[in-house]
Amino acid sequence: MILRTLSNLFLALSAVMLALPILVVCGAALNSGRSMFFPPKEPTLARFKEFFFTETVWVTALGNSVIVAFCSAALAVLVAWPLAYGLWKQGGKAAQVLAGLGSMPFALPPIVFGVGLGFLWSFIGTLGTLWIGIISHAALFMALPLVTISIGLQSIDRSHLDAAATMGATGSVVFRTVILPQTMPYTVSGFFFALVLSFNEFIVMFFVSASSYSTVTLQIFNSLRNGYTPTMAVAAITFIVISVAVFSAVARWGDLPRLMGAEPAKS
Amino acid sequence: MSAVSDPEILANSAPTARSRLADLSLSQLVIWGLILFLCLSPFALIIAVSFGEKIEGASWEWGFSLVNYQRVFVGANWPEEVTFLYLQNLYYSLYYAVFAAVIAVLLAFPFTYLMTGLSRRAQSAWLVFILSSLSLSEVFIVMGWDVLLSNRSGLPMVFKETGLTAWLKEVGWFDTLREWGLANPRNVKFKTSVFATVLTMSYLVWPYAVILLYPPLSRMDRSMIEAAQTMGAGPWTVMRTVILPSVRLPLFGATLLLFVFLLGVYVAVSVFAEPAKQTMAVSVYSAVRGATLNAPFGAAQAVILLITASVFLVLGQWMSRRASA
Repeated sequence: MILRTLSNLFLALSAVMLALPILVVCGAALNSGRSMFFPPKEPTLARFKEFFFTETVWVTALGNSVIVAFCSAALAVLVAWPLAYGLWKQGGKAAQVLAGLGSMPFALPPIVFGVGLGFLWSFIGTLGTLWIGIISHAALFMALPLVTISIGLQSIDRSHLDAAATMGATGSVVFRTVILPQTMPYTVSGFFFALVLSFNEFIVMFFVSASSYSTVTLQIFNSLRNGYTPTMAVAAITFIVISVAVFSAVARWGDLPRLMGAEPAKS
Repeated sequence: MSAVSDPEILANSAPTARSRLADLSLSQLVIWGLILFLCLSPFALIIAVSFGEKIEGASWEWGFSLVNYQRVFVGANWPEEVTFLYLQNLYYSLYYAVFAAVIAVLLAFPFTYLMTGLSRRAQSAWLVFILSSLSLSEVFIVMGWDVLLSNRSGLPMVFKETGLTAWLKEVGWFDTLREWGLANPRNVKFKTSVFATVLTMSYLVWPYAVILLYPPLSRMDRSMIEAAQTMGAGPWTVMRTVILPSVRLPLFGATLLLFVFLLGVYVAVSVFAEPAKQTMAVSVYSAVRGATLNAPFGAAQAVILLITASVFLVLGQWMSRRASA
Protein backbone atom coordinates (compact mmCIF):
# COMPACT_ATOMS: atom_id res chain seq x y z
CA MET A 1 0.00 0.00 0.00
CA ILE A 2 2.79 2.39 0.98
CA LEU A 3 4.71 1.26 -2.08
CA ARG A 4 1.70 2.00 -4.28
CA THR A 5 1.42 5.52 -2.87
CA LEU A 6 5.14 6.09 -3.31
CA SER A 7 4.94 4.92 -6.93
CA ASN A 8 2.10 7.27 -7.73
CA LEU A 9 3.91 10.08 -5.98
CA PHE A 10 6.99 9.45 -8.09
CA LEU A 11 4.96 9.42 -11.31
CA ALA A 12 3.23 12.66 -10.32
CA LEU A 13 6.52 14.29 -9.37
CA SER A 14 8.03 13.32 -12.73
CA ALA A 15 5.04 14.86 -14.51
CA VAL A 16 5.37 18.09 -12.53
CA MET A 17 9.10 18.27 -13.22
CA LEU A 18 8.53 17.63 -16.91
CA ALA A 19 5.81 20.25 -17.14
CA LEU A 20 7.48 22.91 -15.00
CA PRO A 21 9.60 24.77 -17.59
CA ILE A 22 6.82 24.42 -20.17
CA LEU A 23 4.27 25.99 -17.82
CA VAL A 24 6.67 28.78 -16.97
CA VAL A 25 7.15 29.57 -20.66
CA CYS A 26 3.38 29.59 -21.20
CA GLY A 27 2.97 32.01 -18.29
CA ALA A 28 5.77 34.25 -19.51
CA ALA A 29 3.99 34.69 -22.86
CA LEU A 30 1.43 36.87 -21.10
CA ASN A 31 3.97 39.55 -20.14
CA SER A 32 3.14 42.98 -21.49
CA GLY A 33 6.71 44.25 -21.40
CA ARG A 34 9.71 43.13 -23.45
CA SER A 35 11.23 40.95 -20.75
CA MET A 36 10.34 37.50 -19.53
CA PHE A 37 8.98 37.50 -16.01
CA PHE A 38 7.34 34.75 -14.11
CA PRO A 39 4.74 35.32 -12.81
CA PRO A 40 3.92 37.67 -15.73
CA LYS A 41 3.58 41.40 -15.17
CA GLU A 42 0.34 43.04 -16.39
CA PRO A 43 -0.92 39.97 -18.28
CA THR A 44 -2.01 40.61 -21.87
CA LEU A 45 -2.66 38.60 -25.02
CA ALA A 46 -1.01 41.21 -27.27
CA ARG A 47 2.02 38.95 -27.88
CA PHE A 48 -0.21 36.36 -29.57
CA LYS A 49 -1.47 38.95 -32.03
CA GLU A 50 2.11 40.00 -32.75
CA PHE A 51 3.32 36.48 -33.37
CA PHE A 52 0.50 35.37 -35.67
CA PHE A 53 -0.49 38.56 -37.47
CA THR A 54 1.36 41.82 -37.07
CA GLU A 55 5.09 41.16 -36.87
CA THR A 56 6.28 40.18 -40.34
CA VAL A 57 9.45 38.52 -39.06
CA TRP A 58 7.47 35.95 -37.11
CA VAL A 59 4.72 35.48 -39.69
CA THR A 60 7.28 34.77 -42.42
CA ALA A 61 9.26 32.48 -40.13
CA LEU A 62 6.15 30.51 -39.23
CA GLY A 63 5.30 30.14 -42.93
CA ASN A 64 8.82 28.84 -43.63
CA SER A 65 8.62 26.43 -40.71
CA VAL A 66 5.37 24.96 -42.02
CA ILE A 67 6.66 24.62 -45.60
CA VAL A 68 9.96 23.03 -44.54
CA ALA A 69 8.30 20.66 -42.06
CA PHE A 70 5.64 19.35 -44.44
CA CYS A 71 7.85 19.05 -47.53
CA SER A 72 10.83 17.53 -45.72
CA ALA A 73 8.66 15.01 -43.87
CA ALA A 74 7.01 13.97 -47.17
CA LEU A 75 10.41 13.67 -48.84
CA ALA A 76 11.81 11.70 -45.90
CA VAL A 77 8.93 9.21 -46.17
CA LEU A 78 9.43 8.89 -49.95
CA VAL A 79 13.13 8.09 -49.54
CA ALA A 80 12.66 5.90 -46.47
CA TRP A 81 10.04 3.68 -48.12
CA PRO A 82 12.35 1.94 -50.65
CA LEU A 83 15.02 1.58 -47.95
CA ALA A 84 12.63 -0.06 -45.50
CA TYR A 85 11.05 -2.15 -48.26
CA GLY A 86 14.43 -3.37 -49.51
CA LEU A 87 15.43 -4.26 -45.97
CA TRP A 88 12.24 -6.23 -45.44
CA LYS A 89 11.91 -7.86 -48.88
CA GLN A 90 15.48 -8.77 -49.73
CA GLY A 91 17.38 -8.25 -46.52
CA GLY A 92 21.08 -8.95 -46.82
CA LYS A 93 24.18 -6.94 -46.13
CA ALA A 94 23.66 -4.29 -48.83
CA ALA A 95 20.21 -3.33 -47.61
CA GLN A 96 21.46 -3.16 -44.03
CA VAL A 97 24.36 -0.91 -44.99
CA LEU A 98 21.99 1.32 -46.94
CA ALA A 99 19.59 1.64 -44.01
CA GLY A 100 22.53 2.26 -41.66
CA LEU A 101 23.79 5.07 -43.88
CA GLY A 102 20.30 6.54 -44.00
CA SER A 103 20.12 6.69 -40.20
CA MET A 104 23.60 8.09 -39.75
CA PRO A 105 22.72 11.81 -39.87
CA PHE A 106 20.16 11.32 -37.10
CA ALA A 107 22.50 9.33 -34.87
CA LEU A 108 25.50 11.67 -35.00
CA PRO A 109 25.70 15.16 -33.45
CA PRO A 110 23.52 17.48 -35.58
CA ILE A 111 26.09 20.28 -35.47
CA VAL A 112 28.56 18.05 -37.34
CA PHE A 113 26.01 17.12 -40.00
CA GLY A 114 25.00 20.78 -40.27
CA VAL A 115 28.57 21.94 -40.85
CA GLY A 116 29.05 19.20 -43.47
CA LEU A 117 25.86 20.11 -45.31
CA GLY A 118 26.93 23.74 -45.21
CA PHE A 119 30.15 22.82 -47.04
CA LEU A 120 28.29 20.57 -49.48
CA TRP A 121 25.69 23.12 -50.54
CA SER A 122 28.17 25.96 -50.77
CA PHE A 123 30.29 23.89 -53.20
CA ILE A 124 27.27 23.20 -55.35
CA GLY A 125 26.29 26.83 -55.01
CA THR A 126 22.78 26.30 -53.70
CA LEU A 127 23.34 27.40 -50.12
CA GLY A 128 20.55 29.50 -48.64
CA THR A 129 17.56 28.42 -50.71
CA LEU A 130 14.45 27.09 -49.05
CA TRP A 131 14.36 23.81 -50.98
CA ILE A 132 17.91 23.05 -49.82
CA GLY A 133 16.61 23.42 -46.28
CA ILE A 134 13.85 20.95 -47.13
CA ILE A 135 16.29 18.39 -48.56
CA SER A 136 18.63 18.80 -45.59
CA HIS A 137 15.87 18.13 -43.08
CA ALA A 138 14.64 15.16 -45.11
CA ALA A 139 18.14 13.65 -44.93
CA LEU A 140 18.37 14.37 -41.19
CA PHE A 141 15.01 12.84 -40.25
CA MET A 142 14.81 9.98 -42.77
CA ALA A 143 15.70 7.61 -39.93
CA LEU A 144 12.30 8.12 -38.26
CA PRO A 145 9.98 6.95 -41.08
CA LEU A 146 12.59 4.27 -41.82
CA VAL A 147 12.07 2.84 -38.34
CA THR A 148 8.27 3.16 -38.24
CA ILE A 149 7.80 1.72 -41.75
CA SER A 150 10.09 -1.17 -40.87
CA ILE A 151 7.97 -1.92 -37.80
CA GLY A 152 4.88 -1.76 -40.01
CA LEU A 153 6.30 -4.14 -42.61
CA GLN A 154 7.31 -6.61 -39.92
CA SER A 155 3.79 -6.59 -38.52
CA ILE A 156 2.24 -7.72 -41.83
CA ASP A 157 0.67 -11.12 -41.48
CA ARG A 158 2.64 -13.45 -43.78
CA SER A 159 -0.46 -15.58 -44.34
CA HIS A 160 -2.14 -12.62 -46.09
CA LEU A 161 0.76 -12.47 -48.53
CA ASP A 162 0.58 -16.23 -49.14
CA ALA A 163 -3.17 -16.05 -49.63
CA ALA A 164 -2.83 -13.25 -52.14
CA ALA A 165 -0.12 -15.14 -54.01
CA THR A 166 -2.19 -18.37 -54.11
CA MET A 167 -5.11 -16.48 -55.57
CA GLY A 168 -2.85 -15.33 -58.36
CA ALA A 169 -2.17 -11.74 -57.37
CA THR A 170 0.91 -10.27 -59.03
CA GLY A 171 3.59 -8.48 -57.06
CA SER A 172 2.21 -5.03 -57.71
CA VAL A 173 -1.34 -6.07 -56.82
CA VAL A 174 -0.14 -7.56 -53.52
CA PHE A 175 1.76 -4.38 -52.85
CA ARG A 176 -1.30 -2.22 -53.52
CA THR A 177 -3.91 -4.34 -51.76
CA VAL A 178 -2.03 -5.91 -48.84
CA ILE A 179 1.28 -4.24 -48.07
CA LEU A 180 0.37 -0.59 -48.60
CA PRO A 181 -2.90 -0.52 -46.60
CA GLN A 182 -1.43 -2.50 -43.70
CA THR A 183 1.62 -0.25 -43.37
CA MET A 184 -0.28 3.01 -43.91
CA PRO A 185 -0.67 3.88 -40.19
CA TYR A 186 3.05 3.34 -39.68
CA THR A 187 3.94 5.44 -42.72
CA VAL A 188 1.73 8.26 -41.48
CA SER A 189 3.27 8.03 -38.00
CA GLY A 190 6.73 8.24 -39.51
CA PHE A 191 5.63 11.27 -41.49
CA PHE A 192 4.37 12.99 -38.35
CA PHE A 193 7.47 12.18 -36.30
CA ALA A 194 9.64 13.71 -39.02
CA LEU A 195 7.24 16.66 -39.30
CA VAL A 196 7.33 17.55 -35.61
CA LEU A 197 11.09 17.15 -35.30
CA SER A 198 11.72 19.20 -38.42
CA PHE A 199 9.47 21.89 -37.00
CA ASN A 200 11.64 22.12 -33.89
CA GLU A 201 15.10 21.70 -35.44
CA PHE A 202 17.39 24.71 -35.85
CA ILE A 203 21.10 23.80 -35.80
CA VAL A 204 21.23 22.13 -39.23
CA MET A 205 18.87 24.81 -40.55
CA PHE A 206 21.23 27.47 -39.24
CA PHE A 207 24.13 26.15 -41.32
CA VAL A 208 22.17 25.50 -44.54
CA SER A 209 20.05 28.66 -44.52
CA ALA A 210 23.13 30.92 -44.45
CA SER A 211 21.01 33.68 -42.89
CA SER A 212 18.97 34.17 -46.08
CA TYR A 213 15.73 32.97 -44.48
CA SER A 214 14.69 31.64 -41.12
CA THR A 215 12.23 29.33 -39.49
CA VAL A 216 10.63 30.04 -36.09
CA THR A 217 13.13 28.09 -33.99
CA LEU A 218 16.02 29.44 -36.08
CA GLN A 219 14.73 32.98 -35.57
CA ILE A 220 14.75 32.42 -31.81
CA PHE A 221 18.21 30.84 -32.00
CA ASN A 222 19.52 33.84 -33.96
CA SER A 223 18.22 36.33 -31.41
CA LEU A 224 19.51 34.35 -28.41
CA ARG A 225 22.25 36.89 -27.76
CA ASN A 226 19.64 39.57 -27.09
CA GLY A 227 17.78 37.38 -24.63
CA TYR A 228 14.33 35.89 -24.73
CA THR A 229 11.17 37.92 -25.30
CA PRO A 230 7.52 37.06 -24.52
CA THR A 231 6.75 36.80 -28.26
CA MET A 232 9.14 33.84 -28.40
CA ALA A 233 7.17 32.25 -25.59
CA VAL A 234 4.09 32.47 -27.81
CA ALA A 235 6.05 30.51 -30.42
CA ALA A 236 6.84 27.92 -27.75
CA ILE A 237 3.16 27.55 -26.86
CA THR A 238 2.24 27.15 -30.53
CA PHE A 239 4.83 24.42 -30.97
CA ILE A 240 3.77 22.55 -27.84
CA VAL A 241 0.13 22.61 -28.96
CA ILE A 242 1.11 21.27 -32.39
CA SER A 243 3.20 18.45 -30.86
CA VAL A 244 0.45 17.41 -28.45
CA ALA A 245 -2.13 17.49 -31.26
CA VAL A 246 0.03 15.43 -33.62
CA PHE A 247 0.99 12.77 -31.08
CA SER A 248 -2.56 12.54 -29.76
CA ALA A 249 -3.68 11.90 -33.34
CA VAL A 250 -1.05 9.19 -33.71
CA ALA A 251 -2.18 7.65 -30.42
CA ARG A 252 -5.85 7.89 -31.44
CA TRP A 253 -5.55 6.32 -34.90
CA GLY A 254 -2.42 4.27 -34.50
CA ASP A 255 -1.00 1.99 -31.83
CA LEU A 256 1.41 4.30 -30.03
CA PRO A 257 2.69 1.78 -27.45
CA ARG A 258 3.38 -0.68 -30.30
CA LEU A 259 5.18 2.01 -32.32
CA MET A 260 7.33 2.76 -29.30
CA GLY A 261 8.31 -0.89 -29.04
CA ALA A 262 5.77 -2.58 -26.76
CA GLU A 263 4.39 -6.02 -27.61
CA PRO A 264 1.37 -5.97 -29.95
CA ALA A 265 -1.83 -5.33 -27.96
CA LYS A 266 -3.72 -8.45 -26.93
CA SER A 267 -7.16 -7.99 -28.38
CA MET B 1 22.06 -6.24 -57.55
CA SER B 2 23.76 -9.63 -57.51
CA ALA B 3 21.13 -11.05 -59.86
CA VAL B 4 21.86 -8.41 -62.45
CA SER B 5 25.58 -8.87 -62.35
CA ASP B 6 25.16 -12.57 -63.16
CA PRO B 7 25.34 -12.66 -67.00
CA GLU B 8 23.84 -16.14 -67.33
CA ILE B 9 20.58 -15.16 -65.68
CA LEU B 10 20.38 -12.02 -67.77
CA ALA B 11 20.92 -13.96 -71.00
CA ASN B 12 18.33 -16.61 -70.20
CA SER B 13 15.55 -14.40 -68.95
CA ALA B 14 12.70 -13.21 -71.10
CA PRO B 15 12.93 -9.67 -72.50
CA THR B 16 10.27 -8.32 -70.14
CA ALA B 17 11.95 -9.81 -67.12
CA ARG B 18 15.26 -8.47 -68.34
CA SER B 19 13.95 -4.92 -68.62
CA ARG B 20 12.41 -5.22 -65.19
CA LEU B 21 15.72 -6.33 -63.75
CA ALA B 22 17.40 -3.39 -65.45
CA ASP B 23 14.75 -1.11 -63.92
CA LEU B 24 15.44 -2.57 -60.53
CA SER B 25 19.14 -2.03 -60.84
CA LEU B 26 18.61 1.51 -62.06
CA SER B 27 16.31 2.36 -59.16
CA GLN B 28 18.78 0.73 -56.78
CA LEU B 29 21.58 2.80 -58.25
CA VAL B 30 19.53 5.94 -57.84
CA ILE B 31 18.76 5.20 -54.21
CA TRP B 32 22.37 4.31 -53.43
CA GLY B 33 23.55 7.49 -55.13
CA LEU B 34 21.01 9.56 -53.24
CA ILE B 35 21.86 8.12 -49.85
CA LEU B 36 25.60 8.36 -50.38
CA PHE B 37 25.23 11.95 -51.55
CA LEU B 38 22.90 13.12 -48.77
CA CYS B 39 24.06 11.07 -45.80
CA LEU B 40 27.73 10.31 -46.39
CA SER B 41 29.21 13.12 -48.50
CA PRO B 42 28.65 15.86 -45.85
CA PHE B 43 30.76 13.87 -43.38
CA ALA B 44 33.38 13.10 -46.04
CA LEU B 45 33.57 16.81 -46.90
CA ILE B 46 34.19 17.78 -43.28
CA ILE B 47 37.12 15.39 -43.18
CA ALA B 48 38.48 16.79 -46.46
CA VAL B 49 38.07 20.42 -45.37
CA SER B 50 39.73 19.77 -42.02
CA PHE B 51 43.08 19.37 -43.82
CA GLY B 52 42.68 22.72 -45.58
CA GLU B 53 44.25 26.04 -44.65
CA LYS B 54 42.78 29.39 -43.73
CA ILE B 55 43.77 32.36 -45.88
CA GLU B 56 44.21 35.47 -43.75
CA GLY B 57 41.40 37.96 -44.29
CA ALA B 58 39.62 35.75 -46.80
CA SER B 59 38.11 32.29 -46.64
CA TRP B 60 40.20 29.13 -46.94
CA GLU B 61 41.77 26.81 -49.51
CA TRP B 62 42.22 23.08 -50.00
CA GLY B 63 45.42 21.61 -48.71
CA PHE B 64 46.95 18.79 -46.83
CA SER B 65 48.26 20.08 -43.58
CA LEU B 66 47.82 18.81 -40.08
CA VAL B 67 48.05 22.30 -38.62
CA ASN B 68 44.38 22.35 -37.60
CA TYR B 69 44.68 19.09 -35.70
CA GLN B 70 47.88 20.27 -34.14
CA ARG B 71 46.06 23.37 -32.93
CA VAL B 72 43.30 21.27 -31.40
CA PHE B 73 45.67 19.02 -29.51
CA VAL B 74 48.59 21.21 -28.47
CA GLY B 75 47.75 24.78 -29.57
CA ALA B 76 48.74 26.97 -32.53
CA ASN B 77 52.22 27.93 -31.25
CA TRP B 78 53.50 24.46 -30.62
CA PRO B 79 56.30 23.57 -29.88
CA GLU B 80 57.25 26.94 -28.31
CA GLU B 81 54.08 27.00 -26.27
CA VAL B 82 51.57 24.29 -25.41
CA THR B 83 47.91 24.98 -24.66
CA PHE B 84 45.16 22.45 -24.15
CA LEU B 85 42.35 24.95 -24.62
CA TYR B 86 40.49 22.88 -27.22
CA LEU B 87 41.12 19.57 -25.56
CA GLN B 88 39.62 21.16 -22.49
CA ASN B 89 36.48 21.91 -24.53
CA LEU B 90 36.33 18.25 -25.48
CA TYR B 91 36.77 17.34 -21.82
CA TYR B 92 33.78 19.49 -20.87
CA SER B 93 31.73 17.99 -23.72
CA LEU B 94 32.32 14.56 -22.20
CA TYR B 95 31.95 15.78 -18.62
CA TYR B 96 28.50 17.37 -19.05
CA ALA B 97 27.29 14.54 -21.30
CA VAL B 98 28.29 11.77 -18.87
CA PHE B 99 26.63 13.36 -15.86
CA ALA B 100 23.47 14.43 -17.68
CA ALA B 101 23.06 11.02 -19.36
CA VAL B 102 23.54 9.06 -16.14
CA ILE B 103 21.15 11.28 -14.16
CA ALA B 104 18.52 11.09 -16.90
CA VAL B 105 18.68 7.29 -17.05
CA LEU B 106 18.64 6.92 -13.25
CA LEU B 107 15.46 8.98 -13.04
CA ALA B 108 13.86 7.54 -16.18
CA PHE B 109 14.32 3.91 -15.19
CA PRO B 110 11.95 3.79 -12.16
CA PHE B 111 9.53 6.04 -14.02
CA THR B 112 9.40 3.80 -17.09
CA TYR B 113 9.10 0.70 -14.95
CA LEU B 114 6.08 2.13 -13.13
CA MET B 115 4.61 3.50 -16.35
CA THR B 116 4.72 0.16 -18.15
CA GLY B 117 2.70 -1.33 -15.30
CA LEU B 118 -0.23 0.95 -16.11
CA SER B 119 -3.09 0.19 -18.50
CA ARG B 120 -2.52 0.48 -22.25
CA ARG B 121 -4.68 3.61 -22.36
CA ALA B 122 -2.78 5.33 -19.58
CA GLN B 123 0.50 4.37 -21.29
CA SER B 124 -0.71 6.02 -24.49
CA ALA B 125 -1.52 9.24 -22.63
CA TRP B 126 1.89 9.28 -20.95
CA LEU B 127 3.60 8.60 -24.28
CA VAL B 128 1.84 11.58 -25.89
CA PHE B 129 3.04 13.79 -23.04
CA ILE B 130 6.59 12.45 -23.21
CA LEU B 131 6.87 12.58 -26.99
CA SER B 132 5.61 16.17 -27.01
CA SER B 133 8.25 17.14 -24.49
CA LEU B 134 10.89 15.15 -26.38
CA SER B 135 10.23 16.85 -29.69
CA LEU B 136 10.16 20.30 -28.13
CA SER B 137 13.03 22.34 -29.48
CA GLU B 138 16.10 22.87 -27.34
CA VAL B 139 15.58 26.65 -27.64
CA PHE B 140 12.21 26.42 -25.88
CA ILE B 141 13.47 24.15 -23.11
CA VAL B 142 16.42 26.42 -22.47
CA MET B 143 13.96 29.34 -22.49
CA GLY B 144 11.90 27.71 -19.74
CA TRP B 145 14.88 26.90 -17.54
CA ASP B 146 16.35 30.32 -18.24
CA VAL B 147 13.26 31.95 -16.73
CA LEU B 148 13.22 29.45 -13.86
CA LEU B 149 16.87 29.90 -12.97
CA SER B 150 17.39 33.59 -13.74
CA ASN B 151 18.20 35.88 -10.82
CA ARG B 152 15.31 38.30 -11.31
CA SER B 153 12.52 35.72 -11.33
CA GLY B 154 12.07 32.01 -10.87
CA LEU B 155 13.77 29.87 -8.26
CA PRO B 156 16.15 32.46 -6.73
CA MET B 157 13.10 34.67 -6.14
CA VAL B 158 11.26 31.74 -4.57
CA PHE B 159 14.25 31.09 -2.32
CA LYS B 160 14.28 34.69 -1.19
CA GLU B 161 10.52 35.17 -0.75
CA THR B 162 10.00 31.97 1.22
CA GLY B 163 12.87 32.82 3.52
CA LEU B 164 14.87 29.83 2.36
CA THR B 165 17.84 32.08 1.62
CA ALA B 166 17.74 33.55 5.13
CA TRP B 167 17.51 30.05 6.59
CA LEU B 168 20.46 28.86 4.48
CA LYS B 169 22.49 31.81 5.76
CA GLU B 170 21.52 30.99 9.35
CA VAL B 171 22.64 27.36 9.22
CA GLY B 172 25.80 28.32 7.34
CA TRP B 173 25.15 26.32 4.17
CA PHE B 174 25.03 29.54 2.21
CA ASP B 175 28.80 29.82 2.37
CA THR B 176 29.14 26.31 0.98
CA LEU B 177 26.88 27.29 -1.91
CA ARG B 178 29.05 30.34 -2.52
CA GLU B 179 32.11 28.14 -2.64
CA TRP B 180 30.41 26.03 -5.27
CA GLY B 181 29.56 29.16 -7.26
CA LEU B 182 25.84 28.77 -6.68
CA ALA B 183 25.33 31.99 -4.75
CA ASN B 184 26.30 35.66 -4.86
CA PRO B 185 26.57 37.70 -1.62
CA ARG B 186 22.83 38.48 -1.56
CA ASN B 187 21.02 35.37 -2.79
CA VAL B 188 21.45 32.01 -4.47
CA LYS B 189 22.25 32.10 -8.19
CA PHE B 190 22.16 29.26 -10.70
CA LYS B 191 23.29 31.02 -13.85
CA THR B 192 25.94 30.35 -15.02
CA SER B 193 26.99 27.10 -13.43
CA VAL B 194 27.77 23.46 -14.06
CA PHE B 195 24.63 22.68 -12.04
CA ALA B 196 22.33 24.60 -14.43
CA THR B 197 24.03 23.08 -17.49
CA VAL B 198 23.76 19.50 -16.30
CA LEU B 199 20.21 20.03 -15.02
CA THR B 200 18.99 21.37 -18.37
CA MET B 201 20.85 18.74 -20.34
CA SER B 202 19.43 15.88 -18.30
CA TYR B 203 15.95 17.39 -18.60
CA LEU B 204 16.56 17.53 -22.36
CA VAL B 205 17.26 13.79 -22.65
CA TRP B 206 15.00 12.43 -19.91
CA PRO B 207 12.11 11.80 -22.37
CA TYR B 208 14.56 10.08 -24.74
CA ALA B 209 15.64 7.85 -21.88
CA VAL B 210 12.02 6.86 -21.22
CA ILE B 211 11.44 6.11 -24.92
CA LEU B 212 14.63 4.01 -25.07
CA LEU B 213 13.83 2.04 -21.92
CA TYR B 214 10.18 1.57 -22.84
CA PRO B 215 10.58 -1.45 -25.20
CA PRO B 216 12.69 -3.67 -22.89
CA LEU B 217 10.65 -2.80 -19.80
CA SER B 218 7.24 -3.23 -21.44
CA ARG B 219 8.30 -6.58 -22.93
CA MET B 220 9.68 -7.82 -19.64
CA ASP B 221 8.00 -10.95 -18.38
CA ARG B 222 5.94 -9.81 -15.40
CA SER B 223 5.17 -13.38 -14.34
CA MET B 224 8.77 -13.72 -13.18
CA ILE B 225 8.27 -10.80 -10.83
CA GLU B 226 5.00 -12.26 -9.55
CA ALA B 227 6.70 -15.61 -9.02
CA ALA B 228 9.44 -13.98 -7.01
CA GLN B 229 6.87 -12.09 -4.97
CA THR B 230 4.83 -15.18 -4.15
CA MET B 231 8.01 -16.84 -2.99
CA GLY B 232 8.32 -14.05 -0.47
CA ALA B 233 10.84 -11.70 -2.06
CA GLY B 234 10.50 -8.09 -0.99
CA PRO B 235 10.33 -5.27 -3.55
CA TRP B 236 14.04 -4.47 -3.26
CA THR B 237 15.04 -8.09 -3.65
CA VAL B 238 12.83 -8.36 -6.75
CA MET B 239 14.42 -5.24 -8.16
CA ARG B 240 17.95 -6.49 -7.48
CA THR B 241 17.61 -10.12 -8.50
CA VAL B 242 14.93 -10.14 -11.23
CA ILE B 243 14.43 -6.74 -12.87
CA LEU B 244 17.89 -5.20 -12.89
CA PRO B 245 19.72 -8.23 -14.34
CA SER B 246 17.25 -8.46 -17.22
CA VAL B 247 17.57 -4.77 -18.20
CA ARG B 248 21.22 -4.22 -17.38
CA LEU B 249 22.28 -3.98 -21.02
CA PRO B 250 19.39 -1.77 -22.22
CA LEU B 251 20.17 0.57 -19.35
CA PHE B 252 23.78 0.81 -20.39
CA GLY B 253 22.87 1.12 -24.07
CA ALA B 254 20.43 3.96 -23.35
CA THR B 255 23.04 5.83 -21.32
CA LEU B 256 25.49 5.49 -24.18
CA LEU B 257 23.04 6.78 -26.81
CA LEU B 258 22.02 9.76 -24.66
CA PHE B 259 25.66 10.49 -24.03
CA VAL B 260 26.35 10.65 -27.79
CA PHE B 261 23.29 12.80 -28.30
CA LEU B 262 24.43 15.22 -25.59
CA LEU B 263 27.87 15.69 -27.18
CA GLY B 264 26.15 17.86 -29.80
CA VAL B 265 24.11 20.08 -27.48
CA TYR B 266 24.73 23.71 -28.26
CA VAL B 267 22.15 26.13 -26.84
CA ALA B 268 22.00 24.76 -23.29
CA VAL B 269 25.79 24.93 -22.97
CA SER B 270 26.17 28.38 -24.51
CA VAL B 271 23.47 29.82 -22.22
CA PHE B 272 24.15 28.00 -18.93
CA ALA B 273 27.84 27.07 -18.89
CA GLU B 274 30.52 29.43 -17.63
CA PRO B 275 32.62 31.03 -20.39
CA ALA B 276 35.70 29.04 -19.38
CA LYS B 277 33.76 25.77 -19.44
CA GLN B 278 32.31 25.68 -22.94
CA THR B 279 32.20 22.52 -25.04
CA MET B 280 33.54 21.43 -28.40
CA ALA B 281 30.15 21.87 -30.09
CA VAL B 282 30.30 25.55 -29.11
CA SER B 283 33.84 25.99 -30.43
CA VAL B 284 32.92 24.24 -33.70
CA TYR B 285 30.10 26.72 -34.09
CA SER B 286 32.24 29.76 -33.36
CA ALA B 287 34.98 28.60 -35.72
CA VAL B 288 32.65 27.92 -38.65
CA ARG B 289 30.09 30.69 -38.37
CA GLY B 290 30.82 32.67 -35.24
CA ALA B 291 33.49 35.18 -34.31
CA THR B 292 36.68 33.49 -35.49
CA LEU B 293 35.62 32.31 -38.98
CA ASN B 294 38.13 29.56 -39.62
CA ALA B 295 36.26 26.81 -41.44
CA PRO B 296 39.10 24.24 -41.68
CA PHE B 297 39.80 24.57 -37.95
CA GLY B 298 36.09 24.17 -37.19
CA ALA B 299 36.02 21.13 -39.46
CA ALA B 300 38.97 19.58 -37.62
CA GLN B 301 37.14 19.96 -34.32
CA ALA B 302 33.97 18.57 -35.91
CA VAL B 303 35.98 15.52 -37.06
CA ILE B 304 37.20 14.93 -33.52
CA LEU B 305 33.63 15.25 -32.22
CA LEU B 306 32.50 12.88 -34.98
CA ILE B 307 35.16 10.30 -34.09
CA THR B 308 34.30 10.53 -30.39
CA ALA B 309 30.59 10.04 -31.12
CA SER B 310 31.24 7.17 -33.57
CA VAL B 311 33.47 5.31 -31.14
CA PHE B 312 30.73 5.29 -28.52
CA LEU B 313 28.02 4.40 -31.06
CA VAL B 314 30.04 1.45 -32.36
CA LEU B 315 30.70 0.37 -28.80
CA GLY B 316 26.96 0.49 -28.10
CA GLN B 317 26.17 -1.50 -31.27
CA TRP B 318 28.70 -4.13 -30.36
CA MET B 319 27.28 -4.45 -26.86
CA SER B 320 23.69 -4.71 -28.03
CA ARG B 321 24.71 -7.40 -30.51
CA ARG B 322 26.41 -9.30 -27.72
CA ALA B 323 23.32 -8.85 -25.60
CA SER B 324 21.00 -10.36 -28.22
CA ALA B 325 23.40 -13.19 -29.05
